[in-house]
Amino acid sequence: MSERQLLVGPFNRVEGDLEIRLDVAEGRVAAAWANSPLFRGFEMMLTGRDPRDALTITPRICGICSISQSAAAAFALAEASGAEMPEQGALAAAILHGVENLADHLTHFALFFMPDFARPVYAGRAWHGRAVEAFTAQEGSVARALLEARARLFHIVGLLGGKWPHTLAIQPAGVTRTPDARDKVKIQTALRAHRRALETVLFGARLEEFAALDSVAGLEAWGTGAAGLFGEIAADLGLATLGRGPGRYLSCGAYPMPEGRATRAGVWEAGALRAFDPAEVVEDLSHAWMLGGAAHPAEGVTAPDEDMREPGYSWCKAPRLAGGTVEVGALARQVVDGHPLALALADEAGVRARIAGRLLEIARTQLWLEDWAARLDPAARFMGDWDLPKDGAGAGLVEAARGTLGHWLRIERGRIAGYQIVAPTTWNFSPRDAEGVPGPVEAALVGCPVVEAEETPVAVQHVVRSFDPCMVCTVH
Amino acid sequence: MSRIETFYEVMRSQGITRRSFMKYCSLTAAALGLGPAFVPKIAQAMETKPRTPVIWVHGLECTCCSESFIRSAHPLAKDVVLSMISLDYDDTLMAAAGHQAEAALEDTIEKYRGNYILAVEGNPPLNEDGMFCIVGGKPFVEQLRHAAKDAKAIISWGACASYGCVQAAKPNPTRATPVHKVITDKPIIKVPGCPPIAEVMTGVITYMLTFDRLPELDRQGRPKMFYSQRIHDKCYRRPHFDAGQFVEAWDDENAKKGYCLYKMGCKGPTTYNACSTVRWNEGVSFPIQSGHGCIGCSEDGFWDQGSFYDRVTDLTQFGVEANADQVGMAAAGVVGGGIALHAAVSALKSAQKKTQDKPASEEV
Repeated sequence: MSERQLLVGPFNRVEGDLEIRLDVAEGRVAAAWANSPLFRGFEMMLTGRDPRDALTITPRICGICSISQSAAAAFALAEASGAEMPEQGALAAAILHGVENLADHLTHFALFFMPDFARPVYAGRAWHGRAVEAFTAQEGSVARALLEARARLFHIVGLLGGKWPHTLAIQPAGVTRTPDARDKVKIQTALRAHRRALETVLFGARLEEFAALDSVAGLEAWGTGAAGLFGEIAADLGLATLGRGPGRYLSCGAYPMPEGRATRAGVWEAGALRAFDPAEVVEDLSHAWMLGGAAHPAEGVTAPDEDMREPGYSWCKAPRLAGGTVEVGALARQVVDGHPLALALADEAGVRARIAGRLLEIARTQLWLEDWAARLDPAARFMGDWDLPKDGAGAGLVEAARGTLGHWLRIERGRIAGYQIVAPTTWNFSPRDAEGVPGPVEAALVGCPVVEAEETPVAVQHVVRSFDPCMVCTVH
Repeated sequence: MSRIETFYEVMRSQGITRRSFMKYCSLTAAALGLGPAFVPKIAQAMETKPRTPVIWVHGLECTCCSESFIRSAHPLAKDVVLSMISLDYDDTLMAAAGHQAEAALEDTIEKYRGNYILAVEGNPPLNEDGMFCIVGGKPFVEQLRHAAKDAKAIISWGACASYGCVQAAKPNPTRATPVHKVITDKPIIKVPGCPPIAEVMTGVITYMLTFDRLPELDRQGRPKMFYSQRIHDKCYRRPHFDAGQFVEAWDDENAKKGYCLYKMGCKGPTTYNACSTVRWNEGVSFPIQSGHGCIGCSEDGFWDQGSFYDRVTDLTQFGVEANADQVGMAAAGVVGGGIALHAAVSALKSAQKKTQDKPASEEV
């Protein structure tokens, strides 16, 4: 038997529900189809509501990237109404968002991705004992240590936003909470504690050293902490060449500030960076269980095809940029921003590159947060005035942990007339388009080894999890 | 059925010391509002009783409940509870994958038939035969019914499982339906909130594991120990409400002074939850403390009550330093309205769930 079909799913340790169908031939994946089997219809519920409701409703798309959703909604409302955040408001919003992104990366690394290497299938490998000790689900020492560090990091969101998940503090014209001097000290203390956890457990060295890596050789020589263990595993299992993405990366630039975004916006392709034009985004519906035609999100509608007719096979729409697929996420952001290590990994584009990009971003985000916290000025204004327009339109583009997130909003007669959301995993886990071009993860899975006896091929799981899918955001 | 280890054995095997164990027992007693006399009782129960297996399933949801849960306050509480319940099946956190995971679910149901607690996060969509949420190739509603059949009791985590939450917002495209409308023959305990507070989640589970019965529930099926008071009753900004001092606009002088957010649409006066006492993210804060009003996320239908920034009623503002009696009466009016509404809803529902209300406050 050399040809067979496999249905991999439900996928645990990813956020939300996911099913992957595989054609296997000669011990390798020949073709893959990614199905997002969960649909809730947020865009339909938002229509007809008070536009400000988007600030409360859209975060509830997702319990792990709720601040990203609330920030995108706030910026869409801001563009529609002309509201502007005062400098300090933008800073506080960036801190809230940065904490969430950083925490999401830790969750992914410690709870979702690494536990796969503690599986019995790898018993006998030189590193297996250490992987078991560090990452066994719910018990591993590193998993526990990072989970605890992450919980303490969220005190910052508590101080600035009241509660997490589903924080309400970010508004179109700033944030609702003015931190006082004591809050500022508490935030800085929490960040110091978090740095200590990262440096002892994750990197085994100073953050600055990891952030300063500028070559693949440097990455491969990194031997300390859980990052070192990952490097050893990646080398042994050949994760560098596993699961290659499209090699085209998109980022809209993370953390809007008055002086500009903290990371560059752009599209990186074939060794060159070009500007990102949101007008080039089109959502293709040919293989989604959706009615209607391909459209830019500002004109798009969400009308589920309740008969689930073929060739549709997913609730997920297929966003394309200038007709092509792009990969989004930490690696994409770092490549577009021009970090030397990320650029060195841009063409490698596989599982190792994605995880390394995320580790790099963990280090850099911690450094940014420390800088931003030091710049907080409790005496300044954190929110400006704004008025909701009767009619208007706006887009809110932000970088969530998993990549570029866009909200497109249209207001007519004081009510939401149209709302479309394109989430990071919508990009990465999109189904095929009208040309039959598979989405990034579908393409990345082709060639993945499948051992004869395997029902849930472990290599497939590494590839899928390396994208850090957030399936509840994907379809929403 | 094979012998199930006791809580204490599980904890010790997880490397938790006796000293920490005793500390946990006193913390639990305190959190549940029980006196010190209950500490040895809790300890003894945990030393001798077999641990309660828990199956945790996910429907239409956003995983915010799980997220809240893994960040509960006392790291010990989280460790202990996690090791106690061992989450025999949890598709977000467990180790196994794919068919293996499905087999683990079957094994757990088989092994602990009639003894496990089913924790449900999210809810089933019923439109199109449940095709909007597929788990393991089958509609989630089937998994839910299947897992509920042999459960001892069900916990509905969060607003989704308890009431429907945002995916049930008009026009409710998928017909997202709360758990109690699908499962009608089991005791169900609702722990609403979006998400519920972590300490409330661990508190409820600990109580059930320790005393082997459901905590006392109110008419809506919520544990009284956490949902018997309004946010407003224990809000630290309450004196400003009573004094008629309100925030009039975001970030105005009054906001900086921490005045009451009632005029900014705060739903604290009609929301029953423990946010203003237990608080969030390990007791750090809660939405009102961050300058944003409560949106009432633990109340049924909070997602379809008009704008989140509308005032709860048309109560005219109180004069500065208004007479305490007047304010008290006005506030009581609000409460009265709230209760009447609750009562009406409960009466409607009681017809269909009489059977499950009965055992709720007794042995499961």
